[in-house]
Amino acid sequence: MLKIIKVTGDSLSPVYNDGDFVLIAKIPVCLFKIKTGDVVVFEHPEHGQLIKKVASISTQEGTLFVIGFHENSMDSRHFGAIGKNDILGKVIWHIKKTA
Amino acid sequence: MIYKLLEKFDQHLAFDTAKAHCDIPCGIYDPITAQINALTVVRMIDLITHLENTHKEHDADFMNSMSRYVAVKEEHAEKAKHEIRVIWGDYIKAPHVEKHPEIPELVHKIMQLGSKSRQTVDRDTALQFVEAINQFAEIFWDTKGIAIKRAKAPYPPALELVYPNL
Repeated sequence: MLKIIKVTGDSLSPVYNDGDFVLIAKIPVCLFKIKTGDVVVFEHPEHGQLIKKVASISTQEGTLFVIGFHENSMDSRHFGAIGKNDILGKVIWHIKKTA
Repeated sequence: MIYKLLEKFDQHLAFDTAKAHCDIPCGIYDPITAQINALTVVRMIDLITHLENTHKEHDADFMNSMSRYVAVKEEHAEKAKHEIRVIWGDYIKAPHVEKHPEIPELVHKIMQLGSKSRQTVDRDTALQFVEAINQFAEIFWDTKGIAIKRAKAPYPPALELVYPNL
């Protein structure tokens, strides 16, 4: 299942910027298996719906370590790894904001 | 074209959002704070000059007003430098510098002009300070893909500032 999401904030800047749209493939979709380097949208209990890049995957624990590109990004470096079940989808198309 | 289409849909359907936020609430960067601070520096120089020209007696009132103007000039010149340092340090990334290779030199120029604006009451220096920050604002909005316009600030000293043309 596919879904369009609007990006807010700049922690993935300059690749993903505030106002960009992304098309995500909702999990589970075998065709879109998540791997390191993918950008995913997930639900965090405190911070809500977030978008970050997958830095590493622990298949044993079923968790992913996600980070932003920005040094001050609020990500797994602050709140720890996220569970696979928290992932809402993987970005399969990025529509950049145009002037 | 696809973006514009999605933007129109978004206005009616309000797509879900996913936050790419940093330290709360990162993502809120705007050079206007630095621009207004620099404008305040020029305003203080104007007030200092006016006070000096109109108040022949350097009495307690004069000293009080003068010291307040100088203190505000000091404070706002430093605030302007701080705001630029934050955008430079936290927001500007390598691809931005690749596209605008003049940024490092411009930031350094702003720092120098800010310091000189604190040390002196030279209006020309302060005007250069405002303009250098305007140039920084032009680059900043370009990195956001947002067009700019130049317009006079609606308050003294009514200098031209760069604004996003939203």
